[in-house]
Amino acid sequence: MNKRHVFILVLIVLVGGYSMYEFSASLNPYITIRKVKVSHSTVQVKGHLVKDEASIMYDAQHMLHFNLMDETGELLAVSYAGEKPRDFERATDVVVIGKYENQQFHADKILMKCPSKYQKEGTL
Amino acid sequence: MINLSLTVFTAATIWGVFYFVPPAEGLGGLVRIAFFHIPVAWVSVLAFFLSAWWAFRYLQTSRLSYDSISSRSAAMGFVFCLCATISGAVFAKLTWGAYWNWDPRQITIFILLFIYGAYFALRSSIVDRAVKAKLSAIYSLFSCVAVPFLVFVIPRYYFSLHPEPLLNKNGSIQMDSVMLLVLLICLCNITCIFFRVLYRRKNVIDE
Repeated sequence: MNKRHVFILVLIVLVGGYSMYEFSASLNPYITIRKVKVSHSTVQVKGHLVKDEASIMYDAQHMLHFNLMDETGELLAVSYAGEKPRDFERATDVVVIGKYENQQFHADKILMKCPSKYQKEGTL
Repeated sequence: MINLSLTVFTAATIWGVFYFVPPAEGLGGLVRIAFFHIPVAWVSVLAFFLSAWWAFRYLQTSRLSYDSISSRSAAMGFVFCLCATISGAVFAKLTWGAYWNWDPRQITIFILLFIYGAYFALRSSIVDRAVKAKLSAIYSLFSCVAVPFLVFVIPRYYFSLHPEPLLNKNGSIQMDSVMLLVLLICLCNITCIFFRVLYRRKNVIDE
Protein backbone atom coordinates (compact mmCIF):
# COMPACT_ATOMS: atom_id res chain seq x y z
CA MET A 1 0.00 0.00 0.00
CA ASN A 2 1.72 3.19 -1.11
CA LYS A 3 0.95 6.80 -0.29
CA ARG A 4 -1.38 7.22 -3.24
CA HIS A 5 -3.58 4.38 -2.07
CA VAL A 6 -3.78 5.82 1.42
CA PHE A 7 -4.67 9.21 0.02
CA ILE A 8 -7.45 7.77 -2.16
CA LEU A 9 -8.87 5.75 0.74
CA VAL A 10 -8.87 8.77 3.05
CA LEU A 11 -10.60 10.81 0.35
CA ILE A 12 -13.28 8.14 -0.11
CA VAL A 13 -13.94 8.04 3.63
CA LEU A 14 -14.17 11.84 3.90
CA VAL A 15 -16.46 12.30 0.89
CA GLY A 16 -18.69 9.36 1.87
CA GLY A 17 -18.88 10.42 5.49
CA TYR A 18 -19.67 14.02 4.67
CA SER A 19 -22.45 13.16 2.22
CA MET A 20 -24.04 10.77 4.71
CA TYR A 21 -23.82 13.44 7.39
CA GLU A 22 -25.54 16.03 5.19
CA PHE A 23 -28.12 13.53 4.08
CA SER A 24 -28.98 12.36 7.60
CA ALA A 25 -30.95 15.55 8.36
CA SER A 26 -33.80 14.41 6.11
CA LEU A 27 -34.21 10.98 7.64
CA ASN A 28 -36.53 11.62 10.56
CA PRO A 29 -40.27 11.30 9.93
CA TYR A 30 -41.35 11.92 13.54
CA ILE A 31 -42.06 15.42 14.83
CA THR A 32 -42.29 16.66 18.39
CA ILE A 33 -45.42 17.59 20.32
CA ARG A 34 -44.49 21.26 20.30
CA LYS A 35 -44.38 21.27 16.51
CA VAL A 36 -47.59 19.33 15.99
CA LYS A 37 -49.61 22.02 17.76
CA VAL A 38 -48.83 24.52 15.02
CA SER A 39 -49.21 22.11 12.12
CA HIS A 40 -52.31 21.62 9.98
CA SER A 41 -51.49 18.58 7.91
CA THR A 42 -51.26 14.87 8.60
CA VAL A 43 -48.16 14.23 10.66
CA GLN A 44 -46.42 11.54 12.69
CA VAL A 45 -45.85 12.47 16.31
CA LYS A 46 -43.79 10.63 18.86
CA GLY A 47 -44.17 10.84 22.60
CA HIS A 48 -44.02 8.91 25.84
CA LEU A 49 -47.28 7.27 26.78
CA VAL A 50 -48.69 8.67 30.02
CA LYS A 51 -49.57 5.55 31.94
CA ASP A 52 -51.80 6.49 34.85
CA GLU A 53 -55.04 4.53 34.75
CA ALA A 54 -57.38 7.47 34.40
CA SER A 55 -55.82 8.91 31.29
CA ILE A 56 -56.19 5.86 29.03
CA MET A 57 -59.90 5.36 28.58
CA TYR A 58 -62.82 4.95 26.21
CA ASP A 59 -65.57 7.58 26.13
CA ALA A 60 -69.28 6.98 25.50
CA GLN A 61 -68.76 7.04 21.71
CA HIS A 62 -66.13 4.28 21.96
CA MET A 63 -63.32 6.68 21.20
CA LEU A 64 -60.02 5.80 22.82
CA HIS A 65 -58.37 8.70 24.67
CA PHE A 66 -54.85 8.93 26.00
CA ASN A 67 -52.07 11.44 26.57
CA LEU A 68 -48.59 11.67 25.18
CA MET A 69 -45.79 13.61 26.84
CA ASP A 70 -42.48 14.84 25.48
CA GLU A 71 -39.18 15.37 27.29
CA THR A 72 -40.14 18.85 28.42
CA GLY A 73 -43.43 17.70 29.96
CA GLU A 74 -45.62 19.11 27.20
CA LEU A 75 -48.82 17.08 26.89
CA LEU A 76 -50.82 16.06 23.84
CA ALA A 77 -54.35 14.71 24.14
CA VAL A 78 -54.98 12.02 21.55
CA SER A 79 -58.23 10.47 20.46
CA TYR A 80 -58.50 7.39 18.31
CA ALA A 81 -61.56 5.73 16.82
CA GLY A 82 -60.75 2.11 17.06
CA GLU A 83 -59.71 -0.82 19.16
CA LYS A 84 -56.95 -0.34 21.66
CA PRO A 85 -53.87 -2.14 20.27
CA ARG A 86 -52.86 -5.29 22.09
CA ASP A 87 -50.46 -4.69 25.01
CA PHE A 88 -50.94 -0.95 24.60
CA GLU A 89 -50.08 -0.20 28.24
CA ARG A 90 -46.71 -1.86 27.84
CA ALA A 91 -45.56 0.61 25.21
CA THR A 92 -42.91 3.08 26.36
CA ASP A 93 -43.14 5.36 23.36
CA VAL A 94 -46.00 5.77 20.95
CA VAL A 95 -46.15 7.21 17.46
CA VAL A 96 -49.52 8.55 16.36
CA ILE A 97 -50.35 9.43 12.77
CA GLY A 98 -53.12 11.93 12.17
CA LYS A 99 -54.13 15.59 12.45
CA TYR A 100 -54.24 18.18 15.22
CA GLU A 101 -57.61 19.94 15.41
CA ASN A 102 -59.44 21.75 18.24
CA GLN A 103 -56.84 21.07 20.96
CA GLN A 104 -57.03 17.36 20.16
CA PHE A 105 -54.93 15.06 18.08
CA HIS A 106 -57.12 12.78 15.97
CA ALA A 107 -55.11 9.67 15.29
CA ASP A 108 -55.77 7.48 12.28
CA LYS A 109 -53.11 5.04 13.30
CA ILE A 110 -51.16 4.12 16.41
CA LEU A 111 -47.69 2.55 16.39
CA MET A 112 -46.01 1.34 19.54
CA LYS A 113 -42.46 1.02 20.69
CA CYS A 114 -42.29 -1.77 23.21
CA PRO A 115 -39.34 -2.43 25.46
CA SER A 116 -37.57 -5.42 23.97
CA LYS A 117 -35.63 -6.82 26.83
CA TYR A 118 -35.27 -10.32 25.45
CA GLN A 119 -35.91 -11.80 28.87
CA LYS A 120 -37.73 -14.98 29.72
CA GLU A 121 -41.46 -14.53 30.34
CA GLY A 122 -42.25 -13.81 33.97
CA THR A 123 -38.75 -12.84 35.08
CA LEU A 124 -39.27 -9.08 34.92
CA MET B 1 -18.38 -33.31 3.53
CA ILE B 2 -18.44 -29.61 4.33
CA ASN B 3 -21.90 -29.28 2.80
CA LEU B 4 -23.22 -32.18 4.81
CA SER B 5 -21.88 -30.90 8.11
CA LEU B 6 -23.18 -27.42 7.32
CA THR B 7 -26.63 -28.84 6.60
CA VAL B 8 -26.61 -30.75 9.89
CA PHE B 9 -25.39 -27.63 11.72
CA THR B 10 -28.16 -25.54 10.15
CA ALA B 11 -30.84 -28.09 10.99
CA ALA B 12 -29.55 -28.29 14.57
CA THR B 13 -29.57 -24.50 14.83
CA ILE B 14 -33.16 -24.25 13.64
CA TRP B 15 -34.13 -26.98 16.08
CA GLY B 16 -32.30 -25.09 18.85
CA VAL B 17 -34.22 -21.91 18.07
CA PHE B 18 -37.55 -23.70 18.36
CA TYR B 19 -36.66 -25.98 21.23
CA PHE B 20 -34.45 -23.97 23.58
CA VAL B 21 -35.51 -20.37 23.20
CA PRO B 22 -38.01 -19.52 25.93
CA PRO B 23 -40.99 -17.28 25.14
CA ALA B 24 -39.84 -13.73 25.80
CA GLU B 25 -41.45 -11.15 28.04
CA GLY B 26 -44.01 -9.29 25.96
CA LEU B 27 -42.91 -10.88 22.71
CA GLY B 28 -43.78 -14.49 23.43
CA GLY B 29 -42.86 -16.86 20.63
CA LEU B 30 -42.37 -13.94 18.25
CA VAL B 31 -38.90 -13.49 19.71
CA ARG B 32 -37.78 -16.31 17.41
CA ILE B 33 -37.87 -13.95 14.43
CA ALA B 34 -34.95 -12.13 16.06
CA PHE B 35 -32.78 -15.24 15.72
CA PHE B 36 -33.03 -14.88 11.98
CA HIS B 37 -33.31 -11.11 11.73
CA ILE B 38 -30.25 -10.14 13.81
CA PRO B 39 -27.73 -12.62 12.29
CA VAL B 40 -28.67 -11.90 8.66
CA ALA B 41 -28.37 -8.17 9.33
CA TRP B 42 -24.94 -8.59 10.89
CA VAL B 43 -23.72 -10.88 8.12
CA SER B 44 -24.92 -8.50 5.41
CA VAL B 45 -22.67 -5.82 6.93
CA LEU B 46 -19.81 -8.31 6.96
CA ALA B 47 -20.51 -9.12 3.30
CA PHE B 48 -20.44 -5.47 2.26
CA PHE B 49 -17.13 -4.94 4.03
CA LEU B 50 -15.64 -8.08 2.49
CA SER B 51 -16.80 -6.91 -0.91
CA ALA B 52 -14.89 -3.67 -0.37
CA TRP B 53 -11.83 -5.56 0.88
CA TRP B 54 -11.67 -7.77 -2.24
CA ALA B 55 -12.36 -4.70 -4.38
CA PHE B 56 -9.33 -3.08 -2.78
CA ARG B 57 -7.27 -6.23 -3.40
CA TYR B 58 -8.41 -6.16 -7.03
CA LEU B 59 -7.26 -2.57 -7.46
CA GLN B 60 -3.88 -3.56 -6.05
CA THR B 61 -3.37 -6.68 -8.14
CA SER B 62 -5.82 -6.55 -11.09
CA ARG B 63 -6.62 -10.23 -10.58
CA LEU B 64 -10.09 -10.87 -11.98
CA SER B 65 -10.80 -13.66 -9.50
CA TYR B 66 -10.67 -11.04 -6.72
CA ASP B 67 -13.28 -9.02 -8.57
CA SER B 68 -15.47 -12.12 -8.76
CA ILE B 69 -15.28 -12.64 -5.02
CA SER B 70 -15.98 -8.95 -4.44
CA SER B 71 -19.12 -8.98 -6.58
CA ARG B 72 -20.31 -12.27 -5.11
CA SER B 73 -19.88 -10.87 -1.63
CA ALA B 74 -21.90 -7.77 -2.58
CA ALA B 75 -24.60 -10.00 -4.06
CA MET B 76 -24.83 -12.06 -0.89
CA GLY B 77 -24.83 -8.92 1.21
CA PHE B 78 -27.75 -7.69 -0.86
CA VAL B 79 -29.68 -10.93 -0.39
CA PHE B 80 -29.01 -11.00 3.37
CA CYS B 81 -29.97 -7.34 3.62
CA LEU B 82 -33.22 -8.10 1.80
CA CYS B 83 -33.88 -10.97 4.24
CA ALA B 84 -33.27 -8.60 7.15
CA THR B 85 -35.66 -6.04 5.63
CA ILE B 86 -38.44 -8.54 5.06
CA SER B 87 -38.11 -10.29 8.43
CA GLY B 88 -37.89 -6.83 10.00
CA ALA B 89 -41.10 -5.73 8.30
CA VAL B 90 -42.92 -8.81 9.56
CA PHE B 91 -41.51 -8.24 13.05
CA ALA B 92 -42.60 -4.59 12.84
CA LYS B 93 -46.15 -5.57 11.90
CA LEU B 94 -46.36 -7.84 14.92
CA THR B 95 -44.82 -5.44 17.44
CA TRP B 96 -45.27 -1.81 16.29
CA GLY B 97 -48.43 -2.40 14.30
CA ALA B 98 -47.37 -1.70 10.67
CA TYR B 99 -45.22 -3.43 8.09
CA TRP B 100 -43.65 -0.26 6.82
CA ASN B 101 -43.61 3.21 8.34
CA TRP B 102 -40.51 4.89 6.86
CA ASP B 103 -38.91 4.70 10.25
CA PRO B 104 -35.26 5.89 10.26
CA ARG B 105 -34.20 2.24 10.45
CA GLN B 106 -36.31 1.36 7.47
CA ILE B 107 -35.21 4.38 5.44
CA THR B 108 -31.54 3.61 5.98
CA ILE B 109 -31.84 -0.07 5.06
CA PHE B 110 -33.85 0.95 2.01
CA ILE B 111 -31.04 3.27 0.93
CA LEU B 112 -28.56 0.48 1.52
CA LEU B 113 -30.54 -1.82 -0.77
CA PHE B 114 -30.59 0.92 -3.42
CA ILE B 115 -26.85 1.51 -3.16
CA TYR B 116 -26.06 -2.15 -3.75
CA GLY B 117 -28.83 -2.51 -6.33
CA ALA B 118 -27.11 0.23 -8.29
CA TYR B 119 -23.85 -1.71 -7.98
CA PHE B 120 -25.35 -4.52 -10.04
CA ALA B 121 -26.87 -2.11 -12.53
CA LEU B 122 -23.37 -0.67 -12.94
CA ARG B 123 -21.84 -4.10 -13.43
CA SER B 124 -24.33 -5.22 -16.00
CA SER B 125 -23.94 -2.03 -18.01
CA ILE B 126 -20.22 -2.55 -18.74
CA VAL B 127 -19.09 -5.18 -21.19
CA ASP B 128 -15.32 -5.01 -20.93
CA ARG B 129 -14.29 -7.30 -18.09
CA ALA B 130 -11.37 -5.24 -16.78
CA VAL B 131 -13.23 -1.92 -16.93
CA LYS B 132 -16.22 -3.52 -15.21
CA ALA B 133 -13.98 -4.87 -12.47
CA LYS B 134 -12.20 -1.58 -11.92
CA LEU B 135 -15.29 0.64 -11.84
CA SER B 136 -17.27 -1.68 -9.62
CA ALA B 137 -14.29 -2.01 -7.27
CA ILE B 138 -14.21 1.77 -6.85
CA TYR B 139 -17.99 1.86 -6.41
CA SER B 140 -17.81 -0.89 -3.81
CA LEU B 141 -15.19 1.04 -1.84
CA PHE B 142 -17.36 4.15 -1.86
CA SER B 143 -20.50 2.30 -0.82
CA CYS B 144 -18.90 0.49 2.09
CA VAL B 145 -18.15 3.89 3.62
CA ALA B 146 -21.89 4.57 3.75
CA VAL B 147 -22.60 1.24 5.49
CA PRO B 148 -21.49 2.14 9.04
CA PHE B 149 -23.38 5.45 8.85
CA LEU B 150 -26.55 3.82 7.58
CA VAL B 151 -26.46 0.82 9.87
CA PHE B 152 -24.78 2.01 13.05
CA VAL B 153 -24.79 5.81 13.29
CA ILE B 154 -28.02 7.26 11.91
CA PRO B 155 -30.51 4.81 13.47
CA ARG B 156 -28.95 5.35 16.89
CA TYR B 157 -29.07 9.10 16.53
CA TYR B 158 -32.80 9.45 15.85
CA PHE B 159 -35.82 8.22 17.69
CA SER B 160 -36.86 4.97 16.10
CA LEU B 161 -39.53 2.40 16.80
CA HIS B 162 -36.83 -0.21 16.34
CA PRO B 163 -35.76 -1.62 19.70
CA GLU B 164 -32.33 -0.78 21.06
CA PRO B 165 -29.81 -2.85 19.16
CA LEU B 166 -28.04 -5.55 21.15
CA LEU B 167 -24.81 -3.61 21.01
CA ASN B 168 -26.35 -0.48 22.44
CA LYS B 169 -25.29 2.86 23.83
CA ASN B 170 -25.01 1.59 27.38
CA GLY B 171 -22.72 -1.19 26.24
CA SER B 172 -24.80 -3.74 28.07
CA ILE B 173 -26.24 -6.81 26.40
CA GLN B 174 -29.77 -7.15 27.68
CA MET B 175 -30.60 -10.69 26.82
CA ASP B 176 -31.47 -13.85 28.63
CA SER B 177 -28.35 -16.10 28.73
CA VAL B 178 -29.97 -19.03 26.89
CA MET B 179 -31.23 -16.68 24.18
CA LEU B 180 -27.82 -15.08 23.87
CA LEU B 181 -26.15 -18.47 23.46
CA VAL B 182 -28.63 -19.55 20.78
CA LEU B 183 -28.24 -16.18 19.05
CA LEU B 184 -24.46 -16.60 18.91
CA ILE B 185 -24.89 -20.11 17.46
CA CYS B 186 -27.30 -18.71 14.84
CA LEU B 187 -24.79 -15.98 14.02
CA CYS B 188 -22.04 -18.56 13.64
CA ASN B 189 -24.27 -20.72 11.46
CA ILE B 190 -25.27 -17.90 9.10
CA THR B 191 -21.66 -16.74 8.89
CA CYS B 192 -20.57 -20.28 7.95
CA ILE B 193 -23.24 -20.45 5.25
CA PHE B 194 -22.08 -17.09 3.94
CA PHE B 195 -18.41 -18.11 3.72
CA ARG B 196 -19.29 -21.47 2.21
CA VAL B 197 -21.15 -19.81 -0.65
CA LEU B 198 -18.65 -16.97 -0.99
CA TYR B 199 -15.56 -19.15 -1.34
CA ARG B 200 -17.13 -22.07 -3.10
CA ARG B 201 -14.91 -21.56 -6.16
CA LYS B 202 -12.15 -19.26 -5.12
CA ASN B 203 -10.12 -19.02 -8.31
CA VAL B 204 -12.87 -19.11 -10.85
CA ILE B 205 -13.74 -15.91 -12.68
CA ASP B 206 -17.48 -15.32 -12.81
CA GLU B 207 -18.88 -13.61 -15.84
